Amino acid sequence: MNYVFQFNVVWEHLPELLAGALLTIQLSATAMALGLGVAIVCAYGQSAGPRPVRALISGYVELIRNTPFLVQIFIFYFSLPVIGIRLTANGAALAAMTINLGAYASEIIRAGIEAIPRGQVEAARALGLKPLQTFRLIIIFPAIKTVYPALASQFILLMLSSSVVSTISAVELTAITNSLQSTTFRSFEFYFVATGLYLAMALGFKAALSTIYWAVFQRGRAA
Amino acid sequence: MKMRPKWLAVVLMLVLPALAAMPAYAESTLDKILKEKKIRVAIDVGNPPFGILGKDGQPDGSDVAVARQMAKDMGVELEFVQVPSTGRIPALLAGRADVTIASISVTTDRAKAVMYCHPNGALSIVIFGPQGVAITTPADLAGKRIGITRATLEEATVPKMAPPGTNIVWFDEIGATIQALLSGQVDAVAMTSFAGKTVADGNPDKKIETKLAVTTAYYAPIVRHGDFELREWINTWIFINTNNGVLAALYKKGTGVDLPPLPIF
Amino acid sequence: MGRSFGFDEFLYLLLAIPWTLLLSLGAMIGGGILGLVIAVLRVSPYRPLRWLTTGYIELFQGTPVLMQLFVVYYGLAVLFNLQVAPWPAVLLAFTLYSGAFLGEIWRGSIQAIPRPQWEAAECLTLSYPKQLWYVILPQAARISIPPTVGFAVQLIKTTSIAAIIGFVELTRAGQLMTNTTFKPMIIYPIVAGLYFMMCWPLSLLAQRLERRIDATLGVKRHF
Repeated sequence: MNYVFQFNVVWEHLPELLAGALLTIQLSATAMALGLGVAIVCAYGQSAGPRPVRALISGYVELIRNTPFLVQIFIFYFSLPVIGIRLTANGAALAAMTINLGAYASEIIRAGIEAIPRGQVEAARALGLKPLQTFRLIIIFPAIKTVYPALASQFILLMLSSSVVSTISAVELTAITNSLQSTTFRSFEFYFVATGLYLAMALGFKAALSTIYWAVFQRGRAA
Repeated sequence: MKMRPKWLAVVLMLVLPALAAMPAYAESTLDKILKEKKIRVAIDVGNPPFGILGKDGQPDGSDVAVARQMAKDMGVELEFVQVPSTGRIPALLAGRADVTIASISVTTDRAKAVMYCHPNGALSIVIFGPQGVAITTPADLAGKRIGITRATLEEATVPKMAPPGTNIVWFDEIGATIQALLSGQVDAVAMTSFAGKTVADGNPDKKIETKLAVTTAYYAPIVRHGDFELREWINTWIFINTNNGVLAALYKKGTGVDLPPLPIF
Repeated sequence: MGRSFGFDEFLYLLLAIPWTLLLSLGAMIGGGILGLVIAVLRVSPYRPLRWLTTGYIELFQGTPVLMQLFVVYYGLAVLFNLQVAPWPAVLLAFTLYSGAFLGEIWRGSIQAIPRPQWEAAECLTLSYPKQLWYVILPQAARISIPPTVGFAVQLIKTTSIAAIIGFVELTRAGQLMTNTTFKPMIIYPIVAGLYFMMCWPLSLLAQRLERRIDATLGVKRHF
């Protein structure tokens, strides 16, 4: 059985694929920003909070890290409405991605916090700084700088995992690819090109994150 | 003694090219199925009532029953290739199945990629929704979220009749579309009247009802382009079983309605 | 339809677990062999080999697993005229995926072995392959155990993606059960719970191994 590749069908629909890629980028970037916020709050809670708070955050982190992302988004979109919380598809996708990233990133940042020399914290205490101030002024910046590569990897992973939100009808690159291939029956060609687009986006995000690192942590600062 | 080998060589030299010039006999898919005594049928068990998962976890449904009967009459072993809705045609094209019997409605677009056999059933596409949602004409769809499953007849027909301003929400399989309706993520859905009835009966508290009829269509088994022998065998089988009432019985058992007269093309 | 969720339904979910585990184990073993080859080639002195394996790792770490699955599933039949059932296609896709990640993890472990070890082995007139086999790899293997166990957890979760092409493992079983019982609020959290019970013990094991390796590493370094 011979199969004739028909990539020209894909090129005809390239504008739609690119629009989908843009949606993926927007969704991922928003989730990264929100997820980072969640992670910083959780990391603080875990290092400076009282016992119940630490246990709660630990529970949340372990729950997210030991269950599949696909099941998490199903719960956000299909299960929550049963108890009255109804999110739109893209809303559920964003919420699930944020919660997911928050858990992983908080562990990464926590490792960064633990890498801060004890002396710094003690000095800050001696200077009369309150825990929140210590965290904000002394700890968070070097912590993130230390773990930046791991954090960047996690961000890229988040962007890639956004492809499964198509199953709950959220609109991004995979969803658009699915629609196009189901009407033209050129499944292999479309998925092949879509994979290439994801790879391009991953490289793009890596470059962007490197630039952010340089801009935030290196420019004009003493090494 | 010395003459014989030379004479033999001359004969061989004349005969062998003649043998090589004979066209190689390409084995048809039907031949392959009969030789291996196995037919692979692509089915979709997430598509009530044509394909469902029975209580024992085994495939069931009206089209699944048709597949079973067909294999029995062919005298070959049946192997189910379970695919999601979007995989019904790709699985056939990729050679993972010999025929797909999964309520594939007859459309000219699909006929570009596959060959239809004679229809073995009919279905109608309707818009379903809970009682509170007001949809009586196509214009009412504007501004509402309508859930539609990809790679289905509703995908091919509803966007064309829906007015601009309709928010079509796409799902990869009918199970997800149904879940979306039941959880209120969409205002209404488009699917076969049978699937809708299954959902309505299974959730009486939600009061799901038919809102709008979209279209009716016949569905048929499909084979790859070029598998003429297999297509003819299936058509013959459908002809025989339409006349002896077997198809009508399987259809009624799964869908609950009588089989309408089936056309032949 | 709309049957209530009872023991039969729960049993259907439980019976899907062996498939999840089988897929994970198969990918771990296949990916392990592949990963070892990739890790060794990745640190080889020959540049083309390094480039090839780096490219492979970048490809599989820079594209969504879902896309990899689609390309293998639809591509195998089309490119190589192979009629494969979902099971081999899924196993192959996850093996290639695991090979890339394990290769990267083990490459890191190999490179973590201090230079003096390589040099001392060379002084003992061991050839490069023998250096690897007798001196470097055994030590790298010890360091690599915690992240490898961690990846096993990731793999078990990632197998949920196979549900999207219809392979019946735990997540797909959950979807199918939801389709017949219409009770997503009960089923998806239970599915999440079942994954949690599979993954959490492994996660804890990985954490404990990490601590033990860290402790002994400090002691082992005599140089």
